[in-house]
Amino acid sequence: MRETSLGYWALQLAGWGFYFYAQASGEVIFASVPWSQATALWGGVSLAGIGLTHGMRWSIRHHGWLALPPAALLGRVIAGALLVSTVSYLITLALSQAVYGTAVAPITAAFYKRLTVAGQLRNQFIIAVAVHGAWVAAYLAVAMQRHRYRAEVRQAQLGEALRAAELRLLKSQLNPHFLFNALNGLRALIADEPARARDAVTHLARTLRYTFAASDEDFVSLERELEMVDDYLALESLRLAERLAVERDIEPAARGARIPAMLLQTLVENAIKHGIAALKEGGTLRITARVQAKELVLKVVNPRPAQDTPATSEGVGLRNSSERLRLLFGRNASLGLDLTQAGLATAEVRLPL
Amino acid sequence: MKALVVDDEPLARLELRRLLAAFPWVEIVGAAGNIDEARARIEELTPDVVFLDIQMPGGTGFDLLTQLERVPRIVFTTAYDQYAVKAFEVNALDYLLKPIEPERLAATLLKIQATPAPGVAAANAPLEQLFIRDGPRCWFVPLREVSVFTADGNYVRLLWGKERPLLGRSLSALEEKLDPKRFFRVNRSQIVNLDFIRRVETGDGGRLHVSMRDGPEIEVSRRQARLFRARATVE
Repeated sequence: MRETSLGYWALQLAGWGFYFYAQASGEVIFASVPWSQATALWGGVSLAGIGLTHGMRWSIRHHGWLALPPAALLGRVIAGALLVSTVSYLITLALSQAVYGTAVAPITAAFYKRLTVAGQLRNQFIIAVAVHGAWVAAYLAVAMQRHRYRAEVRQAQLGEALRAAELRLLKSQLNPHFLFNALNGLRALIADEPARARDAVTHLARTLRYTFAASDEDFVSLERELEMVDDYLALESLRLAERLAVERDIEPAARGARIPAMLLQTLVENAIKHGIAALKEGGTLRITARVQAKELVLKVVNPRPAQDTPATSEGVGLRNSSERLRLLFGRNASLGLDLTQAGLATAEVRLPL
Repeated sequence: MKALVVDDEPLARLELRRLLAAFPWVEIVGAAGNIDEARARIEELTPDVVFLDIQMPGGTGFDLLTQLERVPRIVFTTAYDQYAVKAFEVNALDYLLKPIEPERLAATLLKIQATPAPGVAAANAPLEQLFIRDGPRCWFVPLREVSVFTADGNYVRLLWGKERPLLGRSLSALEEKLDPKRFFRVNRSQIVNLDFIRRVETGDGGRLHVSMRDGPEIEVSRRQARLFRARATVE
Protein backbone atom coordinates (compact mmCIF):
# COMPACT_ATOMS: atom_id res chain seq x y z
CA MET A 1 0.00 0.00 0.00
CA ARG A 2 2.82 2.38 0.91
CA GLU A 3 4.66 1.58 -2.29
CA THR A 4 1.48 2.13 -4.26
CA SER A 5 1.10 5.60 -2.76
CA LEU A 6 4.74 6.43 -3.47
CA GLY A 7 4.46 5.37 -7.12
CA TYR A 8 1.18 7.20 -7.50
CA TRP A 9 2.55 10.47 -6.15
CA ALA A 10 5.70 10.24 -8.27
CA LEU A 11 3.62 9.78 -11.44
CA GLN A 12 1.14 12.44 -10.36
CA LEU A 13 3.85 15.08 -9.79
CA ALA A 14 5.79 14.11 -12.93
CA GLY A 15 2.66 14.27 -15.09
CA TRP A 16 1.32 17.55 -13.79
CA GLY A 17 4.85 19.01 -13.69
CA PHE A 18 5.27 18.22 -17.36
CA TYR A 19 1.84 19.69 -18.16
CA PHE A 20 2.69 22.86 -16.24
CA TYR A 21 6.05 23.25 -18.00
CA ALA A 22 4.63 22.59 -21.48
CA GLN A 23 1.77 25.08 -21.05
CA ALA A 24 3.75 27.80 -19.27
CA SER A 25 6.78 27.66 -21.63
CA GLY A 26 4.45 27.57 -24.65
CA GLU A 27 2.67 30.63 -23.37
CA VAL A 28 5.98 32.48 -22.81
CA ILE A 29 7.23 31.59 -26.31
CA PHE A 30 4.09 31.91 -28.44
CA ALA A 31 2.19 34.64 -26.57
CA SER A 32 5.28 36.56 -25.36
CA VAL A 33 4.05 36.88 -21.78
CA PRO A 34 6.45 37.08 -18.82
CA TRP A 35 7.26 33.80 -16.94
CA SER A 36 5.75 35.14 -13.73
CA GLN A 37 2.27 35.45 -15.25
CA ALA A 38 2.48 32.10 -17.11
CA THR A 39 3.64 30.42 -13.90
CA ALA A 40 0.77 31.94 -11.91
CA LEU A 41 -1.86 30.70 -14.39
CA TRP A 42 -0.53 27.20 -15.22
CA GLY A 43 0.91 26.57 -11.78
CA GLY A 44 -2.54 27.21 -10.38
CA VAL A 45 -4.26 25.05 -13.00
CA SER A 46 -1.76 22.17 -12.45
CA LEU A 47 -2.16 22.32 -8.66
CA ALA A 48 -5.93 22.29 -9.11
CA GLY A 49 -5.48 19.34 -11.48
CA ILE A 50 -3.58 17.42 -8.81
CA GLY A 51 -6.32 18.11 -6.28
CA LEU A 52 -9.17 17.25 -8.65
CA THR A 53 -7.66 14.03 -9.97
CA HIS A 54 -6.72 12.98 -6.46
CA GLY A 55 -10.35 13.47 -5.52
CA MET A 56 -11.28 11.29 -8.50
CA ARG A 57 -8.90 8.58 -7.26
CA TRP A 58 -10.38 8.77 -3.77
CA SER A 59 -13.85 8.33 -5.23
CA ILE A 60 -12.81 5.31 -7.31
CA ARG A 61 -11.17 3.62 -4.36
CA HIS A 62 -13.63 4.62 -1.68
CA HIS A 63 -16.69 3.45 -3.61
CA GLY A 64 -14.97 0.32 -4.90
CA TRP A 65 -15.65 1.19 -8.57
CA LEU A 66 -13.02 -1.27 -9.79
CA ALA A 67 -15.16 -4.16 -8.63
CA LEU A 68 -18.16 -2.93 -10.67
CA PRO A 69 -19.23 -4.47 -14.00
CA PRO A 70 -17.67 -2.70 -17.03
CA ALA A 71 -20.75 -0.64 -18.06
CA ALA A 72 -21.33 0.72 -14.57
CA LEU A 73 -17.64 1.49 -14.16
CA LEU A 74 -17.46 3.28 -17.53
CA GLY A 75 -20.56 5.41 -16.81
CA ARG A 76 -19.24 6.55 -13.44
CA VAL A 77 -15.74 7.22 -14.75
CA ILE A 78 -16.96 9.28 -17.75
CA ALA A 79 -19.28 11.32 -15.54
CA GLY A 80 -16.46 11.85 -13.04
CA ALA A 81 -13.97 12.86 -15.75
CA LEU A 82 -16.47 15.38 -17.23
CA LEU A 83 -17.14 16.89 -13.82
CA VAL A 84 -13.44 17.21 -13.05
CA SER A 85 -12.74 18.69 -16.53
CA THR A 86 -15.52 21.26 -16.13
CA VAL A 87 -14.25 22.39 -12.75
CA SER A 88 -10.69 22.61 -14.11
CA TYR A 89 -11.98 24.59 -17.11
CA LEU A 90 -13.77 27.09 -14.85
CA ILE A 91 -10.65 27.46 -12.71
CA THR A 92 -8.62 28.17 -15.86
CA LEU A 93 -11.12 30.87 -16.90
CA ALA A 94 -11.09 32.51 -13.49
CA LEU A 95 -7.29 32.40 -13.10
CA SER A 96 -6.70 33.74 -16.63
CA GLN A 97 -9.16 36.55 -15.95
CA ALA A 98 -7.31 37.38 -12.75
CA VAL A 99 -3.79 37.20 -14.24
CA TYR A 100 -4.30 38.58 -17.77
CA GLY A 101 -7.74 40.16 -17.67
CA THR A 102 -9.03 37.76 -20.40
CA ALA A 103 -10.96 34.51 -19.92
CA VAL A 104 -9.10 32.90 -22.83
CA ALA A 105 -5.57 32.00 -21.80
CA PRO A 106 -2.96 33.70 -24.03
CA ILE A 107 -1.55 30.36 -25.22
CA THR A 108 -5.00 29.33 -26.47
CA ALA A 109 -5.52 32.69 -28.12
CA ALA A 110 -2.08 32.38 -29.79
CA PHE A 111 -2.78 28.87 -31.09
CA TYR A 112 -6.27 29.56 -32.37
CA LYS A 113 -5.80 33.13 -33.68
CA ARG A 114 -8.39 32.76 -36.40
CA LEU A 115 -11.19 31.54 -34.16
CA THR A 116 -13.74 33.70 -32.43
CA VAL A 117 -13.57 34.03 -28.63
CA ALA A 118 -16.42 31.51 -28.37
CA GLY A 119 -14.45 29.04 -30.52
CA GLN A 120 -11.32 29.59 -28.42
CA LEU A 121 -13.27 28.95 -25.21
CA ARG A 122 -14.72 25.75 -26.69
CA ASN A 123 -11.23 24.52 -27.59
CA GLN A 124 -9.99 25.43 -24.11
CA PHE A 125 -12.75 23.19 -22.70
CA ILE A 126 -11.90 20.33 -25.09
CA ILE A 127 -8.26 20.50 -23.99
CA ALA A 128 -9.30 20.30 -20.33
CA VAL A 129 -11.43 17.23 -21.14
CA ALA A 130 -8.56 15.63 -23.08
CA VAL A 131 -6.01 16.20 -20.29
CA HIS A 132 -8.24 14.86 -17.51
CA GLY A 133 -9.58 12.07 -19.71
CA ALA A 134 -5.99 10.95 -20.38
CA TRP A 135 -5.30 11.03 -16.66
CA VAL A 136 -8.31 8.86 -15.88
CA ALA A 137 -7.48 6.38 -18.66
CA ALA A 138 -3.89 5.99 -17.43
CA TYR A 139 -5.02 5.64 -13.83
CA LEU A 140 -7.64 3.01 -14.67
CA ALA A 141 -5.20 0.98 -16.75
CA VAL A 142 -2.78 0.64 -13.85
CA ALA A 143 -5.42 0.27 -11.14
CA MET A 144 -7.40 -2.39 -12.99
CA GLN A 145 -4.29 -4.43 -13.71
CA ARG A 146 -3.42 -4.28 -10.03
CA HIS A 147 -6.99 -5.14 -9.05
CA ARG A 148 -7.02 -8.20 -11.27
CA TYR A 149 -3.65 -9.32 -9.90
CA ARG A 150 -4.89 -9.03 -6.31
CA ALA A 151 -8.06 -10.95 -7.15
CA GLU A 152 -5.95 -13.74 -8.60
CA VAL A 153 -3.81 -13.87 -5.49
CA ARG A 154 -6.92 -13.97 -3.32
CA GLN A 155 -8.34 -16.76 -5.48
CA ALA A 156 -5.15 -18.74 -4.99
CA GLN A 157 -5.28 -18.20 -1.22
CA LEU A 158 -8.90 -19.28 -1.18
CA GLY A 159 -8.00 -22.48 -2.97
CA GLU A 160 -5.25 -23.07 -0.45
CA ALA A 161 -7.70 -22.57 2.43
CA LEU A 162 -10.14 -24.98 0.81
CA ARG A 163 -7.50 -27.66 0.52
CA ALA A 164 -6.54 -27.13 4.18
CA ALA A 165 -10.21 -27.50 5.15
CA GLU A 166 -10.46 -30.72 3.16
CA LEU A 167 -7.42 -32.07 4.96
CA ARG A 168 -8.93 -31.18 8.33
CA LEU A 169 -12.13 -32.92 7.33
CA LEU A 170 -10.20 -36.02 6.35
CA LYS A 171 -8.38 -36.01 9.67
CA SER A 172 -11.62 -35.70 11.59
CA GLN A 173 -13.16 -38.50 9.54
CA LEU A 174 -10.19 -40.72 10.22
CA ASN A 175 -10.74 -40.34 13.97
CA PRO A 176 -7.24 -40.90 15.36
CA HIS A 177 -8.62 -42.18 18.65
CA PHE A 178 -10.36 -45.01 16.88
CA LEU A 179 -7.41 -45.69 14.61
CA PHE A 180 -4.75 -45.97 17.31
CA ASN A 181 -6.96 -48.00 19.60
CA ALA A 182 -7.65 -50.39 16.73
CA LEU A 183 -3.92 -50.72 16.06
CA ASN A 184 -3.29 -51.36 19.74
CA GLY A 185 -5.89 -54.13 19.83
CA LEU A 186 -4.41 -55.54 16.67
CA ARG A 187 -0.97 -55.68 18.24
CA ALA A 188 -2.42 -57.73 21.10
CA LEU A 189 -4.14 -60.14 18.70
CA ILE A 190 -1.15 -60.90 16.51
CA ALA A 191 0.50 -63.42 18.84
CA ASP A 192 -2.58 -65.11 20.29
CA GLU A 193 -5.07 -65.12 17.46
CA PRO A 194 -3.33 -64.54 14.14
CA ALA A 195 -6.46 -65.40 12.15
CA ARG A 196 -8.51 -62.72 13.91
CA ALA A 197 -5.61 -60.33 13.50
CA ARG A 198 -5.60 -60.93 9.74
CA ASP A 199 -9.34 -60.26 9.56
CA ALA A 200 -8.90 -57.11 11.58
CA VAL A 201 -6.26 -55.82 9.16
CA THR A 202 -8.69 -56.39 6.31
CA HIS A 203 -11.47 -54.51 8.11
CA LEU A 204 -9.11 -51.68 8.90
CA ALA A 205 -7.84 -51.43 5.33
CA ARG A 206 -11.39 -51.37 3.97
CA THR A 207 -12.49 -48.76 6.49
CA LEU A 208 -9.55 -46.52 5.60
CA ARG A 209 -10.02 -46.98 1.87
CA TYR A 210 -13.68 -46.03 2.09
CA THR A 211 -12.90 -43.00 4.24
CA PHE A 212 -10.21 -41.76 1.86
CA ALA A 213 -12.43 -42.22 -1.18
CA ALA A 214 -15.50 -40.51 0.24
CA SER A 215 -15.87 -36.80 -0.26
CA ASP A 216 -18.67 -34.44 0.60
CA GLU A 217 -20.45 -34.72 -2.76
CA ASP A 218 -20.27 -38.47 -3.12
CA PHE A 219 -23.35 -40.62 -3.05
CA VAL A 220 -23.30 -44.36 -2.48
CA SER A 221 -25.96 -47.03 -2.19
CA LEU A 222 -27.12 -47.76 1.34
CA GLU A 223 -25.89 -51.30 0.77
CA ARG A 224 -22.33 -50.07 0.13
CA GLU A 225 -22.40 -47.78 3.16
CA LEU A 226 -23.62 -50.69 5.31
CA GLU A 227 -20.61 -52.74 4.23
CA MET A 228 -18.38 -49.97 5.49
CA VAL A 229 -20.36 -49.77 8.73
CA ASP A 230 -19.90 -53.53 9.18
CA ASP A 231 -16.13 -53.22 8.76
CA TYR A 232 -16.10 -50.40 11.25
CA LEU A 233 -18.26 -52.27 13.76
CA ALA A 234 -16.05 -55.35 13.45
CA LEU A 235 -13.11 -53.22 14.57
CA GLU A 236 -15.10 -51.65 17.39
CA SER A 237 -16.08 -55.15 18.55
CA LEU A 238 -12.40 -55.96 18.96
CA ARG A 239 -12.16 -53.04 21.30
CA LEU A 240 -15.46 -53.28 23.13
CA ALA A 241 -15.76 -57.11 23.00
CA GLU A 242 -19.02 -58.28 24.56
CA ARG A 243 -20.06 -54.74 25.44
CA LEU A 244 -21.16 -54.14 21.85
CA ALA A 245 -24.14 -55.89 20.27
CA VAL A 246 -25.59 -54.87 16.92
CA GLU A 247 -29.08 -55.37 15.51
CA ARG A 248 -29.91 -54.47 11.94
CA ASP A 249 -33.27 -54.19 10.30
CA ILE A 250 -32.90 -53.06 6.71
CA GLU A 251 -35.91 -53.15 4.40
CA PRO A 252 -34.98 -54.73 1.05
CA ALA A 253 -36.47 -51.74 -0.80
CA ALA A 254 -34.10 -49.42 1.06
CA ARG A 255 -30.89 -51.20 0.14
CA GLY A 256 -30.52 -49.57 -3.25
CA ALA A 257 -31.28 -46.05 -2.03
CA ARG A 258 -28.56 -43.47 -2.70
CA ILE A 259 -27.26 -41.69 0.36
CA PRO A 260 -24.38 -39.26 0.95
CA ALA A 261 -21.23 -41.28 1.69
CA MET A 262 -20.23 -41.49 5.37
CA LEU A 263 -23.65 -40.29 6.55
CA LEU A 264 -24.77 -43.49 8.28
CA GLN A 265 -21.18 -44.11 9.39
CA THR A 266 -21.13 -40.77 11.21
CA LEU A 267 -24.34 -41.66 13.05
CA VAL A 268 -22.97 -45.06 14.05
CA GLU A 269 -19.65 -43.63 15.21
CA ASN A 270 -21.48 -41.07 17.28
CA ALA A 271 -23.70 -43.75 18.82
CA ILE A 272 -20.67 -45.78 19.88
CA LYS A 273 -18.53 -42.91 21.09
CA HIS A 274 -21.15 -41.13 23.18
CA GLY A 275 -23.42 -44.08 23.89
CA ILE A 276 -22.17 -47.62 24.08
CA ALA A 277 -18.47 -46.98 24.74
CA ALA A 278 -19.45 -44.62 27.56
CA LEU A 279 -21.43 -47.36 29.34
CA LYS A 280 -19.70 -49.89 31.57
CA GLU A 281 -22.06 -52.65 30.54
CA GLY A 282 -22.22 -51.50 26.91
CA GLY A 283 -25.44 -52.15 25.00
CA THR A 284 -27.17 -52.87 21.73
CA LEU A 285 -26.87 -50.63 18.69
CA ARG A 286 -29.93 -50.75 16.43
CA ILE A 287 -29.80 -49.68 12.80
CA THR A 288 -33.03 -49.58 10.82
CA ALA A 289 -33.79 -48.43 7.29
CA ARG A 290 -37.29 -48.05 5.83
CA VAL A 291 -38.91 -46.54 2.79
CA GLN A 292 -41.92 -44.43 3.73
CA ALA A 293 -43.83 -42.19 1.33
CA LYS A 294 -40.93 -41.69 -1.11
CA GLU A 295 -38.55 -41.06 1.72
CA LEU A 296 -35.70 -43.11 3.08
CA VAL A 297 -35.83 -43.17 6.88
CA LEU A 298 -32.62 -44.23 8.64
CA LYS A 299 -32.57 -44.71 12.38
CA VAL A 300 -29.71 -45.38 14.75
CA VAL A 301 -30.78 -46.13 18.31
CA ASN A 302 -28.36 -46.65 21.17
CA PRO A 303 -28.33 -46.65 24.97
CA ARG A 304 -26.42 -43.79 26.57
CA PRO A 305 -25.39 -42.75 30.09
CA ALA A 306 -28.64 -41.67 31.72
CA GLN A 307 -27.36 -38.80 33.80
CA ASP A 308 -25.37 -37.35 30.93
CA THR A 309 -26.42 -34.08 29.45
CA PRO A 310 -25.28 -34.15 25.84
CA ALA A 311 -21.68 -33.04 25.64
CA THR A 312 -20.89 -30.17 23.32
CA SER A 313 -18.62 -32.35 21.21
CA GLU A 314 -21.49 -34.76 20.65
CA GLY A 315 -23.14 -32.22 18.45
CA VAL A 316 -20.21 -31.45 16.19
CA GLY A 317 -20.26 -34.55 14.00
CA LEU A 318 -24.03 -34.48 13.70
CA ARG A 319 -24.11 -30.74 13.11
CA ASN A 320 -21.69 -31.16 10.21
CA SER A 321 -23.85 -33.94 8.78
CA SER A 322 -26.96 -31.85 9.21
CA GLU A 323 -25.34 -28.89 7.44
CA ARG A 324 -24.21 -31.17 4.66
CA LEU A 325 -27.75 -32.50 4.16
CA ARG A 326 -29.04 -28.94 4.03
CA LEU A 327 -26.53 -28.07 1.29
CA LEU A 328 -27.32 -31.20 -0.69
CA PHE A 329 -31.11 -31.35 -0.33
CA GLY A 330 -32.31 -28.03 1.06
CA ARG A 331 -35.47 -28.52 3.11
CA ASN A 332 -36.20 -31.95 1.63
CA ALA A 333 -33.95 -33.82 4.05
CA SER A 334 -33.60 -33.76 7.82
CA LEU A 335 -31.43 -35.10 10.59
CA GLY A 336 -32.63 -35.17 14.19
CA LEU A 337 -31.18 -36.44 17.44
CA ASP A 338 -33.81 -37.33 20.00
CA LEU A 339 -32.54 -37.40 23.59
CA THR A 340 -35.91 -37.02 25.31
CA GLN A 341 -35.89 -40.60 26.58
CA ALA A 342 -33.54 -41.04 29.51
CA GLY A 343 -30.72 -43.41 28.74
CA LEU A 344 -31.56 -43.63 25.05
CA ALA A 345 -30.46 -41.74 21.97
CA THR A 346 -32.27 -41.92 18.64
CA ALA A 347 -30.76 -40.37 15.54
CA GLU A 348 -33.09 -40.18 12.56
CA VAL A 349 -32.36 -39.13 8.99
CA ARG A 350 -34.97 -38.56 6.30
CA LEU A 351 -33.84 -38.35 2.69
CA PRO A 352 -35.87 -37.92 -0.51
CA LEU A 353 -35.62 -41.00 -2.73
CA MET B 1 7.19 -52.92 41.98
CA LYS B 2 3.44 -53.54 42.11
CA ALA B 3 1.52 -52.43 39.03
CA LEU B 4 -2.19 -52.08 38.30
CA VAL B 5 -3.54 -51.96 34.74
CA VAL B 6 -6.66 -49.86 34.17
CA ASP B 7 -8.23 -49.96 30.70
CA ASP B 8 -11.76 -50.65 29.53
CA GLU B 9 -10.58 -52.65 26.50
CA PRO B 10 -9.72 -56.30 27.24
CA LEU B 11 -7.27 -56.42 24.33
CA ALA B 12 -5.48 -53.32 25.56
CA ARG B 13 -5.11 -54.88 29.03
CA LEU B 14 -3.81 -58.08 27.46
CA GLU B 15 -1.31 -56.14 25.37
CA LEU B 16 0.03 -54.20 28.34
CA ARG B 17 0.29 -57.35 30.46
CA ARG B 18 2.31 -58.95 27.72
CA LEU B 19 4.59 -55.95 27.38
CA LEU B 20 5.12 -55.78 31.14
CA ALA B 21 6.00 -59.48 31.26
CA ALA B 22 9.39 -58.50 29.84
CA PHE B 23 10.19 -56.76 33.13
CA PRO B 24 10.32 -59.47 35.84
CA TRP B 25 10.68 -56.89 38.61
CA VAL B 26 7.25 -55.47 37.75
CA GLU B 27 4.48 -57.47 39.35
CA ILE B 28 1.00 -56.97 37.90
CA VAL B 29 -1.18 -57.19 40.99
CA GLY B 30 -4.46 -56.62 39.20
CA ALA B 31 -6.50 -54.98 36.45
CA ALA B 32 -9.65 -52.88 36.21
CA GLY B 33 -12.01 -52.02 33.38
CA ASN B 34 -13.56 -48.83 34.75
CA ILE B 35 -12.82 -46.22 37.37
CA ASP B 36 -15.00 -47.65 40.12
CA GLU B 37 -13.22 -50.99 39.89
CA ALA B 38 -9.93 -49.15 39.67
CA ARG B 39 -10.58 -47.17 42.85
CA ALA B 40 -11.41 -50.36 44.76
CA ARG B 41 -8.29 -52.15 43.46
CA ILE B 42 -6.03 -49.22 44.29
CA GLU B 43 -7.32 -49.03 47.86
CA GLU B 44 -7.13 -52.77 48.31
CA LEU B 45 -3.85 -53.55 46.54
CA THR B 46 -1.90 -50.27 47.07
CA PRO B 47 -0.01 -50.55 43.78
CA ASP B 48 3.20 -48.57 43.30
CA VAL B 49 2.25 -47.62 39.79
CA VAL B 50 -1.03 -47.47 37.89
CA PHE B 51 -1.20 -47.66 34.10
CA LEU B 52 -4.29 -45.59 33.48
CA ASP B 53 -6.36 -45.19 30.33
CA ILE B 54 -8.09 -41.84 29.97
CA GLN B 55 -11.32 -42.52 28.05
CA MET B 56 -13.34 -45.07 29.97
CA PRO B 57 -17.04 -45.70 30.53
CA GLY B 58 -18.42 -44.16 33.71
CA GLY B 59 -15.65 -41.60 34.07
CA THR B 60 -12.21 -40.66 32.77
CA GLY B 61 -8.81 -41.40 34.26
CA PHE B 62 -8.78 -37.81 35.50
CA ASP B 63 -12.05 -38.41 37.34
CA LEU B 64 -10.45 -41.37 39.09
CA LEU B 65 -7.55 -39.24 40.31
CA THR B 66 -9.84 -36.66 41.86
CA GLN B 67 -11.59 -39.41 43.81
CA LEU B 68 -8.46 -40.95 45.27
CA GLU B 69 -7.34 -40.14 48.77
CA ARG B 70 -3.77 -41.12 47.99
CA VAL B 71 -2.62 -41.01 44.40
CA PRO B 72 -0.03 -43.61 43.45
CA ARG B 73 2.45 -43.08 40.65
CA ILE B 74 0.41 -42.68 37.45
CA VAL B 75 1.38 -43.52 33.87
CA PHE B 76 -1.36 -42.54 31.44
CA THR B 77 -1.82 -44.86 28.49
CA THR B 78 -3.66 -43.20 25.68
CA ALA B 79 -4.40 -43.58 22.00
CA TYR B 80 -4.73 -39.89 21.28
CA ASP B 81 -5.25 -37.92 24.50
CA GLN B 82 -1.64 -36.89 24.96
CA TYR B 83 -2.84 -33.29 24.62
CA ALA B 84 -5.05 -33.76 27.63
CA VAL B 85 -2.09 -35.13 29.59
CA LYS B 86 0.17 -32.32 28.42
CA ALA B 87 -2.46 -29.87 29.58
CA PHE B 88 -1.33 -30.52 33.11
CA GLU B 89 -0.39 -27.14 34.38
CA VAL B 90 2.80 -27.59 36.29
CA ASN B 91 4.20 -31.06 36.65
CA ALA B 92 4.37 -33.20 33.58
CA LEU B 93 3.11 -36.72 34.00
CA ASP B 94 4.30 -39.85 32.34
CA TYR B 95 2.25 -41.03 29.44
CA LEU B 96 2.54 -43.80 26.88
CA LEU B 97 0.93 -43.69 23.47
CA LYS B 98 -0.95 -46.76 22.32
CA PRO B 99 0.16 -48.93 20.59
CA ILE B 100 2.85 -48.85 23.28
CA GLU B 101 6.46 -49.13 22.15
CA PRO B 102 8.49 -51.53 24.33
CA GLU B 103 11.45 -49.10 24.43
CA ARG B 104 9.28 -46.24 25.69
CA LEU B 105 7.77 -48.51 28.31
CA ALA B 106 11.25 -49.56 29.48
CA ALA B 107 12.35 -45.93 29.74
CA THR B 108 9.25 -45.02 31.73
CA LEU B 109 9.71 -47.94 34.12
CA LEU B 110 13.35 -47.02 34.72
CA LYS B 111 12.37 -43.44 35.42
CA ILE B 112 9.77 -44.58 37.94
CA GLN B 113 12.28 -46.86 39.62
CA ALA B 114 14.74 -44.01 39.96
CA THR B 115 12.31 -41.65 41.68
CA PRO B 116 10.60 -42.96 44.81
CA ALA B 117 6.85 -42.70 44.56
CA PRO B 118 5.27 -40.26 46.96
CA GLY B 119 1.94 -41.95 47.45
CA VAL B 120 2.84 -45.40 48.74
CA ALA B 121 3.56 -44.52 52.38
CA ALA B 122 1.55 -46.17 55.12
CA ALA B 123 -2.15 -45.38 55.16
CA ASN B 124 -1.91 -43.21 58.26
CA ALA B 125 1.06 -41.18 57.02
CA PRO B 126 0.28 -37.54 56.22
CA LEU B 127 -0.65 -36.55 52.69
CA GLU B 128 2.17 -35.24 50.55
CA GLN B 129 0.42 -34.38 47.34
CA LEU B 130 -3.05 -33.85 46.01
CA PHE B 131 -4.57 -34.24 42.58
CA ILE B 132 -6.80 -31.26 41.91
CA ARG B 133 -9.02 -30.56 38.96
CA ASP B 134 -10.47 -27.10 38.78
CA GLY B 135 -12.53 -26.57 35.65
CA PRO B 136 -10.50 -27.66 32.64
CA ARG B 137 -7.17 -27.52 34.45
CA CYS B 138 -5.52 -30.27 36.47
CA TRP B 139 -2.59 -30.28 38.83
CA PHE B 140 -0.60 -32.59 41.02
CA VAL B 141 0.03 -30.27 43.94
CA PRO B 142 2.92 -31.03 46.32
CA LEU B 143 1.46 -29.91 49.64
CA ARG B 144 4.74 -28.57 51.04
CA GLU B 145 4.53 -25.89 48.32
CA VAL B 146 1.09 -24.71 49.43
CA SER B 147 1.18 -21.67 51.67
CA VAL B 148 -2.44 -21.25 52.82
CA PHE B 149 -5.63 -23.33 52.66
CA THR B 150 -8.76 -21.20 52.91
CA ALA B 151 -12.30 -22.54 53.28
CA ASP B 152 -14.50 -21.51 50.35
CA GLY B 153 -18.03 -22.73 51.00
CA ASN B 154 -17.71 -26.48 51.44
CA TYR B 155 -14.47 -26.49 49.46
CA VAL B 156 -10.93 -25.35 50.00
CA ARG B 157 -9.01 -22.76 47.98
CA LEU B 158 -5.28 -23.35 47.87
CA LEU B 159 -2.68 -20.61 47.71
CA TRP B 160 0.03 -22.31 45.69
CA GLY B 161 2.56 -20.08 43.94
CA LYS B 162 0.63 -18.15 41.32
CA GLU B 163 -2.22 -20.68 41.25
CA ARG B 164 -5.42 -20.67 43.29
CA PRO B 165 -6.92 -24.12 42.63
CA LEU B 166 -10.13 -25.16 44.36
CA LEU B 167 -10.16 -28.55 46.10
CA GLY B 168 -13.45 -30.42 46.35
CA ARG B 169 -13.16 -31.30 50.05
CA SER B 170 -13.95 -29.56 53.29
CA LEU B 171 -11.23 -27.86 55.32
CA SER B 172 -11.79 -30.13 58.32
CA ALA B 173 -11.55 -33.30 56.23
CA LEU B 174 -8.35 -32.00 54.70
CA GLU B 175 -6.89 -30.98 58.07
CA GLU B 176 -7.04 -34.58 59.33
CA LYS B 177 -4.84 -35.74 56.45
CA LEU B 178 -2.25 -33.00 56.63
CA ASP B 179 1.14 -33.24 58.29
CA PRO B 180 0.64 -31.61 61.74
CA LYS B 181 4.34 -30.77 61.89
CA ARG B 182 4.01 -28.53 58.85
CA PHE B 183 0.44 -27.26 58.82
CA PHE B 184 -1.47 -25.37 61.49
CA ARG B 185 -5.13 -24.41 61.70
CA VAL B 186 -4.90 -20.71 62.61
CA ASN B 187 -8.62 -19.95 62.60
CA ARG B 188 -12.01 -21.36 61.59
CA SER B 189 -11.43 -20.97 57.90
CA GLN B 190 -7.68 -21.17 57.36
CA ILE B 191 -4.73 -23.54 57.62
CA VAL B 192 -1.22 -22.17 57.08
CA ASN B 193 2.05 -23.79 56.11
CA LEU B 194 4.47 -22.96 58.95
CA ASP B 195 7.40 -23.00 56.50
CA PHE B 196 5.87 -20.02 54.71
CA ILE B 197 5.55 -17.75 57.74
CA ARG B 198 7.76 -14.68 57.46
CA ARG B 199 6.77 -12.74 60.58
CA VAL B 200 4.41 -12.99 63.53
CA GLU B 201 3.23 -9.75 65.14
CA THR B 202 1.01 -8.91 68.06
CA GLY B 203 -1.66 -6.48 66.92
CA ASP B 204 -4.29 -4.41 68.75
CA GLY B 205 -5.88 -6.21 71.67
CA GLY B 206 -3.15 -8.83 71.77
CA ARG B 207 -4.31 -10.47 68.56
CA LEU B 208 -1.65 -12.44 66.68
CA HIS B 209 -1.06 -11.61 63.00
CA VAL B 210 0.91 -13.88 60.73
CA SER B 211 2.38 -12.54 57.53
CA MET B 212 3.18 -15.11 54.89
CA ARG B 213 6.20 -15.05 52.58
CA ASP B 214 3.95 -14.90 49.54
CA GLY B 215 1.83 -12.00 50.70
CA PRO B 216 -1.26 -12.52 52.77
CA GLU B 217 -1.69 -11.34 56.34
CA ILE B 218 -3.63 -13.82 58.43
CA GLU B 219 -5.17 -13.40 61.84
CA VAL B 220 -4.84 -16.18 64.40
CA SER B 221 -8.06 -16.76 66.31
CA ARG B 222 -8.02 -16.30 70.10
CA ARG B 223 -8.73 -19.99 70.59
CA GLN B 224 -5.73 -21.08 68.55
CA ALA B 225 -3.33 -18.33 69.66
CA ARG B 226 -2.09 -20.16 72.75
CA LEU B 227 -1.47 -23.36 70.80
CA PHE B 228 0.20 -21.37 68.07
CA ARG B 229 2.55 -19.64 70.54
CA ALA B 230 3.50 -23.04 71.94
CA ARG B 231 4.24 -24.30 68.44
CA ALA B 232 6.14 -21.17 67.48
CA THR B 233 8.45 -21.34 70.49
CA VAL B 234 9.17 -24.98 69.83
CA GLU B 235 10.16 -24.24 66.22
